[in-house]
Amino acid sequence: MKKVLSYFNKITIYIKDSFRRMVSAVKTDAMYRRFVYLFVGLNVILLLSELDIMNYSTVSLYAYIIIFTIVALGLNILLGFSGLMSLGTAGFVGFGAYGVVYFETLGFPYEISSLITIVIATFIGLAVGLFSLKVEGVYLAISTLAVGEIFSQIFKRVTWFTNAYGGVHYKYPTLLGFIELDRNMTYIFLSFVMVVMMVVMYHLTKSKTGRALLAMSRSNSSAQAMGVSISKYRLFSFVVAILYATIGGILYASFYRYVQPLDWNLMLTLLILAMVVVGGMKSIFGTFLGVFIIYGIPKLYLEDLFSSVSGVAYLFSGILIIVVVMFYPYGMIHVTHDIKKLYNKYKIHKQNKLKAGDGDE
Amino acid sequence: MSDNTNKSYVLKPGTLLDIQNLSMRFGGLTAVNNLSFDIKENEIFGLIGPNGAGKTTVFNCITQFYKDKDGIIIFNNKKNEIINLNDIHVEKIIKEGLVRTFQNVELIKDLSVIDNLLIGAHTLFKSDFIGHIFRSKRASEEETFYKAKALEILKFMKIDYLKDQYVAGQPYGILKKIGIARTLMSNPKLIILDEPAAGLNETETTELSKLMIQIKENYKCSILLVEHDMGFVMGVCDRICAINFGKFLALGTPDYIKRHPDVQEAYLGRDDE
Amino acid sequence: MSVFLQLLFRSLETGSVFALASLGIVLIYRTSKTTNFAQGSIGTLNAFVAATLLMKWGWSIWAVVPAAMVTAIITGFIIDTVFIRPANKVGNIGKQIITLGLIIVIIGIIPWLFGVEPIPLPQFIPYSPTTTITILGATIGYNSFFTIGMSLLLMGAVFLFIQFTDWGLAIRVTASNEITSRLMGVPTKSVTMISWATAATFGTLAAIIVAPQTQVDINMMGSIQVSAFFACVLGGFQTFYGPVIGAYIIAFSSNMAAYYLPPTWSVWSTVIVYVLILVFLFFKPVGIIGKKLVRKV
Repeated sequence: MKKVLSYFNKITIYIKDSFRRMVSAVKTDAMYRRFVYLFVGLNVILLLSELDIMNYSTVSLYAYIIIFTIVALGLNILLGFSGLMSLGTAGFVGFGAYGVVYFETLGFPYEISSLITIVIATFIGLAVGLFSLKVEGVYLAISTLAVGEIFSQIFKRVTWFTNAYGGVHYKYPTLLGFIELDRNMTYIFLSFVMVVMMVVMYHLTKSKTGRALLAMSRSNSSAQAMGVSISKYRLFSFVVAILYATIGGILYASFYRYVQPLDWNLMLTLLILAMVVVGGMKSIFGTFLGVFIIYGIPKLYLEDLFSSVSGVAYLFSGILIIVVVMFYPYGMIHVTHDIKKLYNKYKIHKQNKLKAGDGDE
Repeated sequence: MSDNTNKSYVLKPGTLLDIQNLSMRFGGLTAVNNLSFDIKENEIFGLIGPNGAGKTTVFNCITQFYKDKDGIIIFNNKKNEIINLNDIHVEKIIKEGLVRTFQNVELIKDLSVIDNLLIGAHTLFKSDFIGHIFRSKRASEEETFYKAKALEILKFMKIDYLKDQYVAGQPYGILKKIGIARTLMSNPKLIILDEPAAGLNETETTELSKLMIQIKENYKCSILLVEHDMGFVMGVCDRICAINFGKFLALGTPDYIKRHPDVQEAYLGRDDE
Repeated sequence: MSVFLQLLFRSLETGSVFALASLGIVLIYRTSKTTNFAQGSIGTLNAFVAATLLMKWGWSIWAVVPAAMVTAIITGFIIDTVFIRPANKVGNIGKQIITLGLIIVIIGIIPWLFGVEPIPLPQFIPYSPTTTITILGATIGYNSFFTIGMSLLLMGAVFLFIQFTDWGLAIRVTASNEITSRLMGVPTKSVTMISWATAATFGTLAAIIVAPQTQVDINMMGSIQVSAFFACVLGGFQTFYGPVIGAYIIAFSSNMAAYYLPPTWSVWSTVIVYVLILVFLFFKPVGIIGKKLVRKV
């Protein structure tokens, strides 16, 4: 009994300590504050929609943005940090979505079915990672495309798993067996998971692990000379990317409650890739911005604006992608930097004008 | 090579690295041919030879970037064990106390100077990625500790004012310095420098010579370097080994090498021409 | 035997489609250093031109195909000059995203210009008892001969062009090192423009050959494009003929697998071929024809 109590004590001390460190971190590190702002901001949208200031469907749209931010974050670790390309992302998202539904129909609770899906995804990630030890560059990218295509064939044909073209229906998740979430609660849950995944990425990339990934992608031999194990970190980055994608898929099924096989194609993969590139490689908030530009702007603005002629919304979102990539090859997140620069220029200009004015008097 | 695995090796006291009968072939070309030399503890050792003499190949053999070579490379590692480096994987070499730089620097351009140094301490970190994800106490303490160490090294190299700047856009001389600073992070016993003075101007080269000697004194390690700048090599090295076409020519003090007829013929050109 | 022959001809026909598409992809990959994801969409766009001219304007098939080739060449020129060349400093992945943007633009343009309905496009030589030939019991349409022959002729002409003309030399040196070639006075701008135009015509031709099997619609080239990519990795990106070989191998093996495997397996024929390609790549990571490049440290 005493032993149990002392363990309990230790754990409470540990939790208190972690909490204290978290609070102090939020106070000192601006990044954490931004994570909190983002979380609050996303939930303000929910509030606005509840108050009928925003459309009911806008929440669905932001849920999509949240889900694909998670997926794109994983790809950003893989591409931005490890310099590896994957064209199988959509397949892994689809796997996550189908997986959680399937294991729940077997009778497992939400958490366990998610966990099983994640564990299977880890093994798939390890397999892809092992493959990547032998195959490089464009060959690797197209090989992952093959993996994605195999997934999409499975989604279309393995009836017991995916119900083929009929698709599978699902429900809002029940946490811990008794907390039944409704649409709004699921949305809050989604945004919470997204912020957690962002913090995980932030921690990972600003550590020895992140530096090792960068070292590996920028110069293989230099990384080896510094003791970075290429095989370990290649496996690691594929596993992480696929886990992020799978978690995105699980959340997709949880919010939209319907999964059908035709969504998980090369087009979606490329759009996710575009989200990463347009937003900004290696940037967490850039990824969110990228998803917003690629998915949010067309859905929120372009489709309403050009609803009269079919296809024109597409035309504009295509042009948007091209223009952004051409003018911001390092990602839209750098636009803030440019705005600051412009503002400074304007301020200096204004000051000079004032000074000139002083001279006249 | 495999019959060497379980053998125990001997080194003369005071010797750090002993290369015996090293040969390396690329197809029909013999880049290194039956080469032997040794490096003592706390010494600066130069490896010289004309272009294409196989110097970088020797480096890549020692640091195990090349497999399938003949000969043995005996090393007295950090734990004072005598080992054959050929038994060690290229990614584990740094753990034994041997670290190298590259001819074309190979730093990470989109990281700050101090983060580049922290990569040098990669193998010293004990925390794993789970610790990193949760930013555990140990992981953050380690991070602070090695950051302090990196800063100390940067101060020693007199480039600490650059610590938070990106590596991209720094002048070549600074990049070379960062490369050397990064090697110091791993507490090495032997640092291998591939053309440290290439691309530097005269002031920078003089500064580098001083730095070499300071590193040897302060960090109690040996340095093996390949260099074309003869003035630099002769000024800074305790001993020099000259090779040509992968073959041993001479080994001795700078004065001995300077006067050695074979070296003069191969490297400095013949007098009567 | 007759079944095998029938399968062989069908494989040659689909193989030609894959080969045309993959030759376009590899041309652009080598000269513009980007994986062109829009290869299929460009073909679809110009197939729409052909189908519209034929169905709505009443042109004959023999007139619309050259017309579609001309629009394809124009499409290639426009894409290269407006989008790809100005994006030189964007980097490889950025360029891939631009080709993705092109897909979306094309998806947007097609319903605007040609309407939302799919348009049928007939074969060059319509299939009827008088236009078939029976060899060893296998009935093969003249159209198959025509499309296979035309594809092989065209690809052969391109190989001869690349191998024996000055412009071909320019393409080859640009492919091996763009910057050096530019410094040596090779007109790399014209080279990339020719590559894009050639790739666009090949994509269009591939689309026109497949169109009769389904109809001309936005998604018609999706699976063909994917197969063309696999043909490229199977054959290797380092030569221009490797992907063509890869394309015929893929077409042949998936047709064979679909026919000869038991029904429970044959629905998986494409998956089986993909897995085989992956296994092959694991042991030979740069394709059938290709050498691994070693970077010096």
